[in-house]
Amino acid sequence: MKKRLLIANRSEIAIRIIRSAHKLGMTAVVFQSDREPDALYLKYADEIIPAKDASNEKAIFLDAERIVKFALEYKIDLIHPGYGFLSENPDFAALCVDNGINFIGPSPELIRDMGLKTVAKSMAIKAGLPLVPGSDGPVKDAEAATAYANKIGYPVILKASAGGGGRGMRIVEKPETIERNFKSASDEALAAFSNGDMFIEKYLQNPKHLEFQILGDKHGNVVHLGERECSLQRKHQKIVEEAPSASVTEKMRAEMGEMAVRFAKSIGYFSAGTIEFIMDEDGSYYFMEMNTRIQVEHPVTEIVTGVDLVDWQIRVALGEELTLKQSDIHIQGWAIECRVNTEDPQNRFSPQTGFIDKVYFPQKDYIRIETGVQSGSVVTPYFDSMIAKIIVKGNDRQDVIQKTLDALNEFNLIGLKTTIPFCRTVLNHPDFVNATYTTRWVDQVFTPEMLENEDDEIIGALAATIMYASEYLQLSSDLPTYKYDRLNVWVLNKRLNY
Amino acid sequence: MGTSYIYKRDASRLFIAVRDNGKRYKLYIPKESKPVIDGKEYDIDFIEQGDSQYIFDWNGKRFQCELVSRDQNKAVIKVNGVEYKYSLESLFSYIRRGMINSDANKIDENNIIAPMPGKIVDIFLSEGDLVNAGEPILTLEAMKMQNEITANCNGIIQKIKVQAGQSVMKDELLIEIQSIDL
Repeated sequence: MKKRLLIANRSEIAIRIIRSAHKLGMTAVVFQSDREPDALYLKYADEIIPAKDASNEKAIFLDAERIVKFALEYKIDLIHPGYGFLSENPDFAALCVDNGINFIGPSPELIRDMGLKTVAKSMAIKAGLPLVPGSDGPVKDAEAATAYANKIGYPVILKASAGGGGRGMRIVEKPETIERNFKSASDEALAAFSNGDMFIEKYLQNPKHLEFQILGDKHGNVVHLGERECSLQRKHQKIVEEAPSASVTEKMRAEMGEMAVRFAKSIGYFSAGTIEFIMDEDGSYYFMEMNTRIQVEHPVTEIVTGVDLVDWQIRVALGEELTLKQSDIHIQGWAIECRVNTEDPQNRFSPQTGFIDKVYFPQKDYIRIETGVQSGSVVTPYFDSMIAKIIVKGNDRQDVIQKTLDALNEFNLIGLKTTIPFCRTVLNHPDFVNATYTTRWVDQVFTPEMLENEDDEIIGALAATIMYASEYLQLSSDLPTYKYDRLNVWVLNKRLNY
Repeated sequence: MGTSYIYKRDASRLFIAVRDNGKRYKLYIPKESKPVIDGKEYDIDFIEQGDSQYIFDWNGKRFQCELVSRDQNKAVIKVNGVEYKYSLESLFSYIRRGMINSDANKIDENNIIAPMPGKIVDIFLSEGDLVNAGEPILTLEAMKMQNEITANCNGIIQKIKVQAGQSVMKDELLIEIQSIDL
């Protein structure tokens, strides 16, 4: 009997998972949400469950109870949660397991543990992973904070134990100001959260975000598939990702990879997972957290390792043993992913909704397109603004940057603005070319004017003039003073099929 | 002669586009040859035209343009995904508004004055025509020699004060030219 795999997700990742389901000979089942009844992913599925999630109710992808209810009704064997939504919700995973449905991911307990930062960090310490130096618990007073800061070195960050939203938080650059900052932050925390307890941690000014992909099975085997660098972020969300990272040497890769594997093994992890590190300018790195889902940027790893991560997620869930050994995994070439978000980079990345009148994706054998939309699709305000990903493979970093720029130049979307011009600006910038960019690049370096360039400005002036002129010339056609022919002649003469 | 002038006669094809950052472009859209921008011919080809969409090719690079909004003579154009705002005007209205070369002395410099007494043999241009700097405007016969009188600047023929066959005095004003060299 064909296994039945339900995808509790939408858009490009649903299509990506359907591809793997088909490869493994399974029936792919998806939900049709009333919020986007004509979504592209529906076309690829074998079966569609009408979710009838009215707009005043929870979207189906967030409704654990209903998903499992439907799964039972439709005799589903496995559920793939994708990313986002319920993918890292331990209660959802547990609900699946309790109802005899195979949840594609690690155990609910591990999802829960990794979701609690303090638990995850203490497990990482046990496995010998480095953590950002900081006080284990609250520091007693300003004096204790000063003593601690002297030990770990400046700058440091003071954080309220009960904090959030930046309140009770201070970055301290030098010893002279720590006492004053401690008092004001503690007072602020006390006023805001009725708790003045303060932590102290080393502050990384210009960190890089690195993450190691791991893959484990239910038999205790774990391998790592190298790193991805995802330092290019806006509002803490990644926009451009690459694999490998130019900031990771072969020696570091082996060391960090071994660490990631050791950690995953120590907690009994299975399925695909990501171990995030933050790296300081001096090359020292620290464990941040573990993601227990497939990630948006997984294709860059697939491209440089040749390993299909989603296939393996499903096979591991079925109890298969990993046939990959660490020695089989080699990083070849370089890959870059650019996220196509319907956001306006000229206006603080504000979301854009509406119709995609036309979309054209570049097509080359070294380009992989993952898209949830096509020409005529509508982008609604109900879901994420990411509509597609353009992933490019090159021989080396320089080659892939050029190929990606060519690909971005060919991409065209009429109707909405996207993050692609932003990606173009990034890839052209010396900080990216030299691989010195950090997670603060958007805040510290980027300005909307950087999206503009003179060639585009000249072409824009030309296009505007032609549009204006064709009307102007028509309007003035009965004025005897001016002699002219219809302007369009030039247009028509030069019309070609591209 | 082999000399080719970039501005053809038709002045109604000359426009001014000012960007919202203050940058000004002077664009000439000829009937058949390539566009002339700020006095220079650009190797830009039109590839495709849709309702509010144009695709250009410039040195093998593709440029995607989309009209985002239009309000009277203001237009917002998305070029390769980035928006640029322009204010557009025909050269005529630009001149009418006194936006170019208000310097009276300069205007006089550009006018064509008879360098010697003689007879107008031929006038090659008409009022309202565009003329290129160095382009012959008329032939003046003096002492049995035919002299070609050329324009000092790229400009528009504003007024032709004489006609073929007419005799003129030295320093007589023959043609008024408004420079378009912004």
